[in-house]
Amino acid sequence: MVKMPLSVEEIDEIRDILKREPTREELVMFEAHWSEHCSYKSSRRLLRLLPNKGNHVVLGPGRDAPAVEVFPGILAVFKIESHNHPSAVDPYNGAATGIGGIIRDILTLGAKPIALLDLLYMGNPFNPHAKWLIRNIVKGISDYGNRVGVPVVAGDTWFDESFNKQPLVNVACLGIVEKNKAVLSKPRPGDLVVIIGNSTGRDGLLGSSFASAPLKDNMVEDIGAVQIGDALMEKMLIDVVNEVVEKKLVDYIKDLGGGGLTTAISEAAGDYDLGVEIYLDRLHLRMDLEPYEILASESQERMLLAVPRENFNELIGILEKYEVPYSVIGFFNDSGFIRVYYKGRIIAEVPSKAMARPRALVRKSKPPEDVLKGLTPLQGIPEPDLEDAIIRIFSSPNIVSRRWIYEQYDHEVGGRTVVKPGIGDAAVLKINDDKGIAVKGDGNPRYTWLNPFNGAANVVSECYRNLVSVGSTPLAIVDELNAGNPEKPEHYWFFENMLKGLAWISDELGLPVVGGKVSFYNEDSSGNQVKPTLTIVGIGRVENVRKAKTMEFKEPGSYIVVIGETLPEIGGSEYLYRVHGLEVGEIPVPRPRLEYMHGSTVRMLINEDAVSSVHDVSIGGLVTSMLEMAVASGLGAEVELSLVPSRGIDRLDYLLFSETQARYIVEVPLNKVEKARRILDEMNVVYGVVGRVSSRSQVDLLVNGKRILELDIGVLREIYADSLEKYLERG
Amino acid sequence: MTGNVAVLKFPGTNCDEETLRALRRHGLNARIVWHRDFVWREYDAIVIPGGFSYGDHLRAGVIAARTRAVEQVVEAALNEVPVLGICNGFQVLVEAGLLPGALIQNEHGRFTCKWVRTRVRNPKGPWLLLVSDKMVLDMPVAHAEGRYIIDEQEYVKLVGENPPLILYEDGWNPNGSMYSIAGVASGNGAILGLMPHPERAVEPELTPRGFNPGGKLIFESIYFALRNGW
Repeated sequence: MVKMPLSVEEIDEIRDILKREPTREELVMFEAHWSEHCSYKSSRRLLRLLPNKGNHVVLGPGRDAPAVEVFPGILAVFKIESHNHPSAVDPYNGAATGIGGIIRDILTLGAKPIALLDLLYMGNPFNPHAKWLIRNIVKGISDYGNRVGVPVVAGDTWFDESFNKQPLVNVACLGIVEKNKAVLSKPRPGDLVVIIGNSTGRDGLLGSSFASAPLKDNMVEDIGAVQIGDALMEKMLIDVVNEVVEKKLVDYIKDLGGGGLTTAISEAAGDYDLGVEIYLDRLHLRMDLEPYEILASESQERMLLAVPRENFNELIGILEKYEVPYSVIGFFNDSGFIRVYYKGRIIAEVPSKAMARPRALVRKSKPPEDVLKGLTPLQGIPEPDLEDAIIRIFSSPNIVSRRWIYEQYDHEVGGRTVVKPGIGDAAVLKINDDKGIAVKGDGNPRYTWLNPFNGAANVVSECYRNLVSVGSTPLAIVDELNAGNPEKPEHYWFFENMLKGLAWISDELGLPVVGGKVSFYNEDSSGNQVKPTLTIVGIGRVENVRKAKTMEFKEPGSYIVVIGETLPEIGGSEYLYRVHGLEVGEIPVPRPRLEYMHGSTVRMLINEDAVSSVHDVSIGGLVTSMLEMAVASGLGAEVELSLVPSRGIDRLDYLLFSETQARYIVEVPLNKVEKARRILDEMNVVYGVVGRVSSRSQVDLLVNGKRILELDIGVLREIYADSLEKYLERG
Repeated sequence: MTGNVAVLKFPGTNCDEETLRALRRHGLNARIVWHRDFVWREYDAIVIPGGFSYGDHLRAGVIAARTRAVEQVVEAALNEVPVLGICNGFQVLVEAGLLPGALIQNEHGRFTCKWVRTRVRNPKGPWLLLVSDKMVLDMPVAHAEGRYIIDEQEYVKLVGENPPLILYEDGWNPNGSMYSIAGVASGNGAILGLMPHPERAVEPELTPRGFNPGGKLIFESIYFALRNGW
């Protein structure tokens, strides 16, 4: 018998609901579905704070994935999910099945998956255990994503000691579907419950419960809770759903993910006040299983279809064509009860609503002593040798090119990837000859750890800038809150404040949070939480993919323009960490009004063809962004630092490395200078024309005409392009 | 529309839609054909697109190569029907014995996805009809098992037949292929297999700066060949 982490109060509540003693199977069902992972019992009260409405929002939170009308008649369906716990125990399978799960979420609305993202927060690449995790996580995503034919086009990567044993593996998927074909309806009484895909086995038994508790020291004990993926079956499910949706054969689709069959049937019935009769012995199995195991198994690549009886034969034709196993295990009715039968006897009878919605818990929240780190005044920071500091930052695992990762992913399959990894701030995927969707994921564990409210706001701001940089109009975001133990007030405080920061900034920027997930219990066996991390994936509308912008300098002679003022904001910066070994201080202040204004300005510059490259300024500061533009192109630049708009800065290191928000660097071609100036002046933004692109392969930094640094592009390029591979493949 | 072209689909094939798009964009009457429904006589040319047929279980291409559909492809090839294998399709053609050599795991052991520069030697046949000798074609690769190997005896025989070859340019060999071979054809060029993806190198906005859309000429060639002979 599996362990039963339901609390005493919860068991009492179950007795109240049933008005009798629960059966063993019923207890397992409650356990699976009331787990934190499936029920959001610790987070639901606060999640209500998030704005999720908007003109183009067709479907907000609640289903397996939300939908946004990105162009008239075309829906973008996108969603993020964490697979942190499984990836800590079995990085290869844990990460791979994360990809599988998120793709199926997108399929439930009938959408075609067109892009994947991975947001990885991993340990120190020089720590042997962390390195093992990183290599296998990337390999798991690579093997699974490549096989199913959905390109991994973007993401975020961060390295930090706190993730040495417990990485955060967040994955996201974007799909598209014509609005009139999307599966937005609900199951109807009489519809057959058809389970398609893999046979059910013992793998992943109560995996959601495992993800709803701290990891044990001896993780090997938990290996049975990790699911094993089968990418070929997933690919067949994609093909089947594609054809089923094309022919409009189903009323409703649901993934069998966390909580397995139990969660799928209780949400399918409970969300719509329906009932369902399930005959468990009709399900196709991989091995002999006890009924409670069938209910709790989280075997992968399984989906539930609600099928009107008259469409059944046509559906079977498609399943047989693709040789996808299936079983008809019951039907929906209007009884309001989930009734589960096994070999002729009833083993569970539960009101579907009570099952689907456990009572929300009130969690205590209390600021931890750690919070002082984010308030430490920065004084007496010595001024370093600038060249040395630049090289240190530019070779930081958090900054160097992710080439080692994205080259392992087929980022072009599907023939849509216009802006590919490594050259733009976000990925751009074409959906027809003209139009496209931009997508990007972001996070900054250091920011959200030092100041969860502002940190969360800055993460959304960065995602906003990234979407703007490639020429898109940001439309909506989804979020994943990776937090510690919700039962500990000092951990919960971070969750609460990240969420409030997210709610505030998304409202300020007019970016609805259309969906999201919560991952708690990211703590180690001695009770330390990892750096609490909010991750965001945003999408934007691209009217003309030919105008999408990349970051590399395009032409010698063109002007380099910095938009936005630089303030002395080095708290929590990559500079402080990399050069001074400090992770303290007040992080940059979020500036939503400027984000919005500067974003609109940059979009206008792009639409009017006044700029040839765009790059936002984020971690590593101005000089890092500038060098990235140079290195990506092989072209150099001459930059006069006294022309960089700034306020309150009396030190060059602060000017170069400050992480002030709402800044961009753009390249203006010679013949567009007038036009660019006109737009910048009309929009009344602070900007500085700071230098020019040069054909010499070096970046020269000047102060009042005096050359203070010459940086060789060849050397920088080698550092930037090859460091990650060196860190992870050698030594 | 001219020429009926089959884009053969197996379980796990995943480049079928963009291959179809590339063919149609070039005026060809192409369609995706599920492997069980494939009858070679209905088509003027056959493309086996990229992907992971049968999940690459055992080794890439080996299971698809033993299907009835590929028996049909072999028969079609014997009857001079042009056949193109892209990436996994190339692996299938090699496993089916239609092209010499073998494709094994990349030298560095990892999957690799990036644009490469190739040069065509001795172009002829329907797929390379409009390509001139030594022309440079840029295309992306995306594979884990794309390292071309061939034993010396077989290589001597291959070169003796004077077939078209597609070779990675110096510094662009992504996988350690012997003789820098990215693609190889039958003696008359009717059967062509290559690891790079021509269907991803057709549209200018999908071609990164500094590269040419090297797949275009391959699709233009087959259009021209089916229309005017080759």
